[in-house]
This record gives sequence, C-alpha cells and structure tokens, in this order.
Amino acid sequence: MSGQRWGLYVHVPFCRTRCTYCDFNIAIGMTEADHVRYTHALIAELFGKSLPSGPLASIFFGGGTPSLVASELLVGVIDAIRERRGLDETVEITIETNPGTVDEAKLAHWRQAGVNRLSIGAQAMQDDHLRRLNRAHDVQDIVDTVRSARMAGFSNISLDAIYGLPWQTEREWRETVRRLLDFQPEHLSLYQLMIEEGTPMAKRLARGAVRLPDDDRVADMADWAEQALSAAGLMPYEISNYARTGRESVHNQLYWQLEPYLALGAGAHAYLPGRRWWNVRNVRRYMERVEAGSDPVDGEEQLSQAEEMREFLWLGLRQRCGVDVSRFRERFGKSPEAAFAEVLRSLRQSGLLWFDDHSLRLTPRGRDLASVVARALVDAPLRHQVGLSS
Amino acid sequence: MDQAHIRNFSIIAHIDHGKSTLADRLIEATGALTSREMAPQVLDSMDLERERGITIKAQAVRLFFESQGERYELNLIDTPGHVDFTYEVSRALQACEGALLVVDAAQGVEAQTLANLYMALENDLAIVPVINKIDLPSADPDRVMEELIEIGLDGTEAVLTSAKQGIGIDAVLGEIVAKVPSPQGDSLKPLRALIFDSRFDSYKGVLVYIRVIDGALKVGDRVRFMATHGEFEVTEMGVFGPNPLAVEKLDTGEVGFFAAQIKTVQDTRVGDTVTLAEAPAATPLPGYRPAQSMVYSGLYPVDSDDYGRLREALEKLRLNDAALTFEPETSAALGFGFRAGFLGLLHMEVVQERLEREYGLTLITTAPNVVYHVTLLDGEEIRVDNPALLPAAGDIAAIEEPVVEAQIITPSEYIGAVMELAQERRGIYTNLDYLDSARARLVYRLPLGEIMFDFFDQLKSRTRGYASLDYQVEGRQASDLVRMDIMLNGEVVDALSTIVHRDRAYHKGRALVERLHQLIPRQLFEVPIQAALGSRVIARETVKAMRKDVLAKCYGGDITRKRKLLEKQKEGKRRMKSVGSVEIPQEAFMAILRVDDQ
Repeated sequence: MSGQRWGLYVHVPFCRTRCTYCDFNIAIGMTEADHVRYTHALIAELFGKSLPSGPLASIFFGGGTPSLVASELLVGVIDAIRERRGLDETVEITIETNPGTVDEAKLAHWRQAGVNRLSIGAQAMQDDHLRRLNRAHDVQDIVDTVRSARMAGFSNISLDAIYGLPWQTEREWRETVRRLLDFQPEHLSLYQLMIEEGTPMAKRLARGAVRLPDDDRVADMADWAEQALSAAGLMPYEISNYARTGRESVHNQLYWQLEPYLALGAGAHAYLPGRRWWNVRNVRRYMERVEAGSDPVDGEEQLSQAEEMREFLWLGLRQRCGVDVSRFRERFGKSPEAAFAEVLRSLRQSGLLWFDDHSLRLTPRGRDLASVVARALVDAPLRHQVGLSS
Repeated sequence: MDQAHIRNFSIIAHIDHGKSTLADRLIEATGALTSREMAPQVLDSMDLERERGITIKAQAVRLFFESQGERYELNLIDTPGHVDFTYEVSRALQACEGALLVVDAAQGVEAQTLANLYMALENDLAIVPVINKIDLPSADPDRVMEELIEIGLDGTEAVLTSAKQGIGIDAVLGEIVAKVPSPQGDSLKPLRALIFDSRFDSYKGVLVYIRVIDGALKVGDRVRFMATHGEFEVTEMGVFGPNPLAVEKLDTGEVGFFAAQIKTVQDTRVGDTVTLAEAPAATPLPGYRPAQSMVYSGLYPVDSDDYGRLREALEKLRLNDAALTFEPETSAALGFGFRAGFLGLLHMEVVQERLEREYGLTLITTAPNVVYHVTLLDGEEIRVDNPALLPAAGDIAAIEEPVVEAQIITPSEYIGAVMELAQERRGIYTNLDYLDSARARLVYRLPLGEIMFDFFDQLKSRTRGYASLDYQVEGRQASDLVRMDIMLNGEVVDALSTIVHRDRAYHKGRALVERLHQLIPRQLFEVPIQAALGSRVIARETVKAMRKDVLAKCYGGDITRKRKLLEKQKEGKRRMKSVGSVEIPQEAFMAILRVDDQ
C-alpha cells in the first residue's frame, strides 16, 4: 500500500448564516481572531500527524465556508502542507467558495499558492429561492464571483445547485441549469434536496409551512438536467456530478473508490484501509485539544474486509464507470461475484445492475434507484467458500 | 371493623372529568400516603394506563376517616373508565353501597356519566354527586346542578370540588360517611365474596380482589369458586392502603385481596362468587357472566421467526387478562399468526401495544371485526370471526351481526350532524330527549361493526369534540352483508378482506382502495390495487412504479452516516410485509379503519 495515492480534507466550519437545509458541522458568528486561532490549530494538527508515504493527489478545503477566512490564513495552511510534503501543480487543490465572500485579491492570492480548482455554491439562480434557503448571497454575487474567478485565472470551476426545493417549479430549475451552463463551468454538482433531521427546513416541513414538489416533478427535473448537461458536454460521472472529460474531481473520486484520505479540522473524517475516524465536532473543543498538544480524534470505526468490500461496491457503483473487477480482486483477493453472488445476481435479475468479468455498473434504471442497490449491498451476506475454488 | 363503620364506594365519571385526581386527593387527605409519596394518580398503576389517562384494571384502597369522633373504614373501589369494560365496572359497583358521581363543572353530564349512573342505580347504590373542577374559568356549577336534577339526582346537594386544588375534599369524605349505607351482609352465613378484579403476580400467583358480602375469610381457608369450580387454599390476604398490607382475615362488608397459589386469572373470573369448600353457600351472588369477545383481529409477526415469541407473549398476557382469547390461524398473505378476541377496541389496542412494547414484537394486526352468525343453506349455523373465512355467497342463507344501543350526548346544534352520521352507519333511531335547553341525548340502534369504523372519531369531528358516546351490546340482527376482497397485483390478500353491507360496498371499496393507494409506497414495478365482490371488481387504483431513490451526496465525512441511513431505511423495509412481491406497510392492514366516510 505504500505507493498508494491519498487525499487531504481540510474542514473550515465558519459560515455567515446557516442555510435552512444544512446539517453540516458549521459555526456562525465567529470572529477573525477565531479564524486565526483555528487555522493555526489546523497547522498544528498537520504537524502532529504521520502522513502516508504515497503521492498526495488532492487537497480539498470544505466547509462551512472556507472562502470566508482571510486568504493569508488559508494560504498559510497550504504553505504548511507544502513544507511538510512538497506540492506541485499535479495536486488538485480545491476551495469551496461561497458567492460574495471573495474579491480579486483573495482569488489571486489563492492562485499564487497553488489553488487550481473552485467549487462554488450557487444553489439556485433566483433571489427568492436563495433568500428562502437563508443563503448569504444573491444571484448577482454568483455572477460576480464566477467572473472574478475566471479573471484570476481559474480554469477548473465547479458549480453546485439544488433541485426539488420547496415551491420550486420545473421552469425555475431549468432556468437555474441554463444560467449555470452559461458560465461554461468545467464541472457541475446537481443535488436533489435531502431533508436532514433537525434542520430548519425539516421543521418547517413538519409544520406544513413549506411544500416540496412531488416526486414525479423532481424526477423530471433530474432527467431534464442530465440531458441538458450532456448536450453541453458535461458528462455525468457520478449520481450527482457532471464534468467535461478530464475535469472529474480527483478528490471526490478518492471517496467513491475507497482510497485513503486524511483530514484536518473540527469533525473532519479520515480513512485508511481498515479504519475510519473523526475529530471532535465542536470547534472550540477541537482548538483546545490541539493547542493542548492532544489528539483531537473523537471516534473511529474499524472496517472488516467484508465491510470494505460492501462499501467498495455501493460507493463505486455511484460512478458511471462503476466498479473495476480487477481493482476489487487486487484489493480483496476475490471477485465481487465470488463474494456476493446471490445479491449481485438478484440485482441483475431486477434489471438494476449490469456486470461481466471486467466491471459492474448500474443500468439506467439502477442509477435512478441507486439506493435500492446500495441497501441490498450494505449488509449483503458474504459467501464463504470453504473448500471451494473461486 | 364493625360493619356499621365501613363504607364501600366507587367513583364514576366520564373520562377526563377528574376521577383519578379526586381519588388521589381522598387518599392523601386521609393520610394513607403523604403527598411526597404520591406519584400522580396512584390508582392507575399500569404505565400504559397513566400514559393514556385511562384506568384499565380496577384496584381497591382502604382509607381511614374520622367523623364526629368516630373512625370509619372507607374502601374506594376503582372502576375501569371505558366502554369495553362495562361488565367489569358493573361488578365493581356491585361490590359497593355507594358511588361518587363526578361531573366536570365546565363539561357537564356526558354519555358515560349517564351510563355509569344507570349502572349504579341498577345496583341500588347511593349516589353522592360531585361537581369537580370548579376552579376552571369556564366552570358553571349552577348549570351542572340543573343537569343533575334533569337526570333525577338532587343537584343542589352536590359537593363542589376542585380535586386539582384540594378544594372540598373533606366535604366529600363527610358525605360518603353520611350518605353511603354501611354493608348489610350477614356475618353468620356461609362465606360469599364477590370477585371484582384479579391480577397476576409472578411471586404470589393470582391476587384475587374481593368484597366479602356474607361470612368471613381468613388465611388457611380452603376456597371454592362457584362458577369455575376451582378450589384453592388461601396463603395470604391483604388490603391496599394503598401500599399492600397483610391481614389475617376479611370480615363481612370488607374489601381486600387474597392469594392462593392460583396460576392464571382464567380461574378467577370477575363476577364469580368465592365460598368456603367445607361450608359452601347454597347460591352464588347474582350477575355472573363469562367474558365474551366482541372484537377479533389477526395478530401476525412481521418476522415469521417471531411466531413462537408471539405465542409466549400472548400466553403471558393471558395470565393477567381473563378476557383475552386467541387461537392459531394461518393467512395466505401473512403466514402463521393468531386470531385474538377482545372485549372491545380499546382492549385490543392495549393488548397490541403491550405485545410491541413489553415483548419487543413487531406485529401486523389486521383490521378488527365483529363475530358474524351465518346460517348456511343446509341449515347449519356457523360463527365467523375472520372475514376471509366467510363461506361463498351462494352457500349462505342469512348473516347476523351484533348490534348495540348507543347513547350519544351532544349540544343541540349538532343533533342533525349526529343523526346523519348514525344513519350513514345504518343506525336505527330509537329516542331523543333533552338534558337541558342546550344539550340532547340521542339513542340509536347500530351495528357494532359500524362503530368500529372510526365512528368515534367522526362523531368527535362532526360535533367539534363536544359529543360523547356510550353503548351496550343488545343482541344480533340479520343484515345484507357481503365479503369484500382486496387484490394487490392481481392476488387476493386475505388479511385485507372485510365484511361490509351490500349497499355500502361500492363506496367502502372505493375509499379503501384510495386509502391503500396512499399507504402502499411505490415499488420497483407498478402495483394495481383492486376491491372485488366475488369476481366482480368494484374499485381500482394503481401505485406507480418508483422513479427515483438516490442519496444525492456521499462524500468522505458522510460515508459512515450514509451507510447507517441505508441500514435504517432497510430496517424500515423489514417492518413491511412482503405479500407476493409487494411490500406492504403495517398500517395498510388497518386501513379500513381510517377510511374517511364523508
């Protein structure tokens, strides 16, 4: 495993407001002094870690709103990584950016530090939707941010948008998609709205204060968008992600292919084969722990080989390219079919899964029902082959 | 205690009129418990009862009260507060000489108030009217007094109380001593003791709650149950104060319990007479009647491996519930389960909830049904307690269904709405009279089967919650009934079959199919839902195939959480029953009950 590539996730929890649908680990109302203290803690955590020996393939600043903090602070973190590890332009360095939080100087500073990809959270192209979602920006901010990013020389830009929003019409969704395509992004992430427990949105929904478009309308939105994006040269490579060829997110592919990643920051999750672990969620406690020189890890799970095989499949199948049988066999010593014959065959029988000796992929129907497939796989019984040759 | 200083009484009231709180205050005021020891409403000793604010099992508490220098033993016998347990209430009342009739100062007389009053009067009880909750801003004791006069009581003598605030409690105790007669039994006659309740204790066996009518009972006596014929030796006796307290003997007129190594409450039927084996009484006390199941429902484990556990749980519940009956049955759709008989709907719900809560079972319960008496063309008579087993229409000469006499008390402005509802439910009008200028009492003869179909909810919603209902079973009547089957994906699901009146079949079929359409989630393929009488389809809906089911986001920090979410979703699916290839949620089997009849 020593030569295996890996990624680094850096969590920056600060936000100006909490969006109504968000259940991420974020913090509102922190001061610039907190930003300084927090980024110092990130650097301290980095220097306290032993890093894998393989090549670093990607750094992803996620949030929260990483773009909210002063550029010298984020650049400080990048410089620290460079100091520990060395960085070159082959490393994908992404910063999640919210419209209205950057100016040309900040963007230029990031470019200089080696940042080569932006993931901009547009979400919708109607001010009233943005307002209802409690986003801290308007449509004009999106336009300005994308333009500034291009001017600063960013040639790999991803935009996020959400469909199935309360009160959202198909017409509005098409407008959002068309306007995002007008920016000629290299990458788009289109997410169906998920109602997360405990969020303001979930509460409003339970009260009957908002109404969601019905399931068929939402499915129509997804289908229409996929066609529109394909026609514009943005190919679906994962359930919610589209890219021009060669612009697929390196970082996110690490997740779907069960490759190693380390993580810095409050509540951040890391994974090395056999183990997933995470830091303490609370921002202040995270900083205190790191400052006191102690380990901020708050929990972990051990993954057995059977569990990893299952994850390898249901995560891998999220991708259009599916699961590569030889990679599976290299890693686990047997083919997927040898491990989970019964479940895989029954999924094939139901018309959700396609496979041969080289790869497994979801059928178009299977892509619509990826969770049906994933549920069948999360606890698929492992076939033990006592006394049988595979 | 000599008989002249004993008073045995019950509290009767409509639900929520403050019976349990008043009982608490009486117990507290007589020093039986300090207020610190009192959990609210000590008489409701099952958790489930307390949560639902209803009293299921009667209990008795002995209180001491001094009045004009004399010390009195007051036995408070609690009664169940629901229409399913009418017979249990009547036996508890038979154990008393008097009753507190509690009426809410704001709500006034309600259907259960009346039903309980009539029952108390049938048992020749002295009635002490109590107007409770006088502290409420909307209290109107004068109006309630007039209502009491209207129903034949001396309303002017009612005691005004606020049990919540402790107002009028001593006055109530004084009235009990003054108005309730002392027991009139003969201490020299052979023992006759009335069983008014029993419960199973895992250490002592069944505790039998009795009122000694004649004679006396002491530890070591060999007793005989006159209806069930069992004989047992009394090992222990006691009273509740309300904590249990051992006694050696219960004399004429007294109330308490005994244990005698009895294994199951089936041996100790409420209403039965306990006598001594050596010197038995010549005749039992009047009024005994074996428990009779009025409502049946199929109980099936979602996971067929739980069948054995379900059987064990039912057997355990039966130790403490003489009214619960069950027999194994098999459903083509649901596999192996039981057909269980209950006193009524509440009894059914309580049992189902205890099976799930106390025994951790996940159950499918089919919609409840009444018992039909079917006469076949060849003259044979059969009893059908499962709609799926109704013989083919061509073989049936006649079907009879149970009917009830229902009393509904409603503000006059809703009389029309109530009559409309009763008529929709095939009710036959019997009587209408007025309690006062604003409220009326309607009496209808209604099929019991119709009352089970959300009658109470409809009554409440059509009268803005003001109407109250009470009913007694009054025999059977012949009706034009047919079996309606439900087909999913072309296959009859036996557990969804119901028996309906022919004239209402189309309407019910339509409503049920629509309801199922809402309840059955989209599947991988399209699922037609059809209602049919014999081979004739009368209603159809189609559940469309599922379009999308995806997790939009799944990144590094999410994988563990998303995996757990998938596992949880899968667990949810396991709670559904696969019938053929269709996954049906538990609620669907009860859908017929919630069919909106508007």
